[in-house]
Amino acid sequence: MRIELSVNGNAIEVDVEPTTMLVDVLRDHVALTGPRVTCGVGLCGTCTVLLDGEPVSSCILMAPLALGKQITTIEGIPRDDEVVSCFDRQHAFQCGFCIPGMVLTAKNMVEHGTATSREQIREGLGGNLCRCGCYTKIVDAIEEAAR
Amino acid sequence: MTDARITADIRYSVDHKVPGMWHLRLVRAGIPAGTVTAIDATAVDDEVAVITPEDVLPHGKYGCQIADQHVLASEPKYLGDPVVAVVAATEKAARQAAAAIDVRYETSPAVFDELEAVQPSAPLVHAAHVTSNSDSAYFEMRPQDGTNVCHHFRIRTPGLRGRHEPNLLIDLPSPGDDRLADAFADADVVFEETFRTPAASHVPMEPHATVAEWVDGRLEVTTGTQTPFNLRQDLAVLFGLPAESVRVVAAPMGGSFGAKTFMRTEAIAAVAAKAVGRPVRCVLDRDEVFGEVTRHASTVRMRIGARRDGKFVAKQMLAYLNTGGYADCGPGVAQKMGYAGVGPYRFDHVAVDSYCAYTNLPPAGAFRGYGAMQSAWACERLVDMLADELRIDPVELRRMNLLRDGDAFCTGEIMRDTHFEELLDDVAKAVAWQDGRKGKGIAIMLKGMQTPSRAEAAIRSLPDGRFEVHSGTADMGQGSVEALTRIVADLLDVHPDRITVPCPDTDLVPYDTRTTSSRSTHMMSRALAEAARELRNGGTVGRGRIVNEGGLDPDTGEGIASSHWHQGAASAHVEIDDETGVIDVKTLYASSYAGTVVNRPAAELQNEGSMIMALGSSLFEEISYQDGQLVNPNLSDYNIASALDCASIQHRLMESPGAEVHGLGETAVPPVPPALGNAVASLGYRPRELPMSPERVLASRVDGRPAAR
Ligand code: FES
Ligand code: FES
Repeated sequence: MRIELSVNGNAIEVDVEPTTMLVDVLRDHVALTGPRVTCGVGLCGTCTVLLDGEPVSSCILMAPLALGKQITTIEGIPRDDEVVSCFDRQHAFQCGFCIPGMVLTAKNMVEHGTATSREQIREGLGGNLCRCGCYTKIVDAIEEAAR
Repeated sequence: MTDARITADIRYSVDHKVPGMWHLRLVRAGIPAGTVTAIDATAVDDEVAVITPEDVLPHGKYGCQIADQHVLASEPKYLGDPVVAVVAATEKAARQAAAAIDVRYETSPAVFDELEAVQPSAPLVHAAHVTSNSDSAYFEMRPQDGTNVCHHFRIRTPGLRGRHEPNLLIDLPSPGDDRLADAFADADVVFEETFRTPAASHVPMEPHATVAEWVDGRLEVTTGTQTPFNLRQDLAVLFGLPAESVRVVAAPMGGSFGAKTFMRTEAIAAVAAKAVGRPVRCVLDRDEVFGEVTRHASTVRMRIGARRDGKFVAKQMLAYLNTGGYADCGPGVAQKMGYAGVGPYRFDHVAVDSYCAYTNLPPAGAFRGYGAMQSAWACERLVDMLADELRIDPVELRRMNLLRDGDAFCTGEIMRDTHFEELLDDVAKAVAWQDGRKGKGIAIMLKGMQTPSRAEAAIRSLPDGRFEVHSGTADMGQGSVEALTRIVADLLDVHPDRITVPCPDTDLVPYDTRTTSSRSTHMMSRALAEAARELRNGGTVGRGRIVNEGGLDPDTGEGIASSHWHQGAASAHVEIDDETGVIDVKTLYASSYAGTVVNRPAAELQNEGSMIMALGSSLFEEISYQDGQLVNPNLSDYNIASALDCASIQHRLMESPGAEVHGLGETAVPPVPPALGNAVASLGYRPRELPMSPERVLASRVDGRPAAR
């Protein structure tokens, strides 16, 4: 089926099967590399994108369900964004594979005022895993962004 | 400029695609041991290429230390061993084709447990043992013919040498018939115990991803690998080519931790690319990543003897490593596990036998900690048990016996730049040891760095005033590009913006042994210093070369285990719910000797990352098998630590003015499980097996009260 998606402010038409997951559309049809598949079952958050500003796991979201919504990937976040800058300043990354998902989740937390304490930030990151173990610095970065 | 790893401006191996490429899928064995009797591919489309074990037979066998693996198996060694490959124009077509292939087998007896595998009656996983010609086989392999042991590493300190001993010990001999019993003659107390650690998964967030292509008779492979030069050599041998006819580009990795070392899917991708005359891409699914390579499950039997006053007299250790169906670098792991298990202590006598045993499980290989984690668990738990027996404080018992500058390690090498006592005091202080030790535990360890090894580097000045750094150090997430940039900017005294670091490409960069064992910062920084010196003396290219010599005699363990030592300690403070057995970690602290820190944030991240991975190994990470089937190959059944698990973590990088740079990629891994285990033990439990799941904690209660429901 042909569907038109709004990705990072651009209207993009793709021809996909109705069961194709959004992450595959973004990677294979839109040539974005920010959303990534690690677990494929909605647990790790490396495939996180914002759907009308809310973080979702794009590995378990069928692409047609994103119709009519604004899809934002890391590529759609300005380079001088405050959360991005805080991750950079705090050196909150190692390999970086999980980081776009972390940044998108963090943006949502900062915007909704749900990053008021380190404990709350940790709770908010429950669905974003980092095997390199950068959690301490990631929490530092989000704490700084929320100030 | 914002770092490319935040903004997704980095291209990992999984992002690498080339026009016209086809896709590879593997059909995996449904039995743990036996023979493929028939392959029916009649239901597969004509446009799909099917590659069978017969097709790859001419390539012979490969293996970084033991040549034991065919590119596809006609006699699968584990459930999941690739037996057929299909190559198609789309990924979907490849998946459909793989599902349409019917493979028939004849099964033969299998063995899964490392202790069963070394019994004389065990079925043989491989009929014969053939040492690899690869550079990665950097010491003499000692397979035991007619058994599943593909390498036996021994340490015998001088007083214990030259005796007639059995080749293979399955249990610690009883004092009566122990040929080494006199080693313990001076001991007032002799204490022994058996410890176990399970298989575990590296779980790199990015899966293994490879693109192979033949260009004018040359093989070009872009892949996530920590070992580009070893891979180049092994591929060249497989295809009967000179090394120069193979090009390996090591793309940045989204994590590896040892998972992306030596040959993984590169050989089959190269065979497939040749068969279809196009580039071929192979990306593993998550469940395949779990089975691709694991951490060695192990059983360690350890005996320690001491005088009443606490002075250590002798140690005897039998280590059994479960290396799965293929040896991979298991012999190397067995060696490191062997000497790391002795610990940073002085003994009059040491006898170690470390056996790398085949079983019919997925292969085990390099894993952050490289054997030291498994044997430090045994070593440090046993020291605490001995301390209890002697009624000596565990910190003081260690202090009394620690290696100091000028002491000889069990390998005979003389220790220098030792910081064990400072580390011990630091971790004790972090949990307020002096205020009582209930719920607290400490542990200390030493770990070797790849020895021998060689690092070469070049710095080229570009016409536009920038400098290009040619180094084989692969970026698996530790931030080598950033480190190399800083080091060279410092050396040349220029702004980092003027430094560029292309990813390791064997056509471009000079030889480097590999990016493992936390050796790169230490070795490469020195090679670059030489290169910078040469560049300053004139010309447009400066080259540097650093070699560390050494190695151990496989019979006596004598020699140079490591040209310098990674030294680390940890402490923990825990509470345990007596009803449920759940451990609540109040404090987890690690102190690692760093020498001189090059890049503080990156060094801190390596230390924290090591602790967090080790926390998972301590409390919940474990690959489970049922009759050889990996039953939890996904992140819902195999848990890794999340931000919620890490609130209690603190650490320190111990520096020493003017000291050498020490790698920090793994130092904080091995001491964490025994620090937690000793903390648990202080509350009336006796953990001997990892992970310390609630059920195991309850079952290890010392007063024998029945486990709570
Ligand atoms: S890949 Fe989507 S949540 Fe893990
Ligand atoms: S930075 Fe590597 S997984 Fe998070």
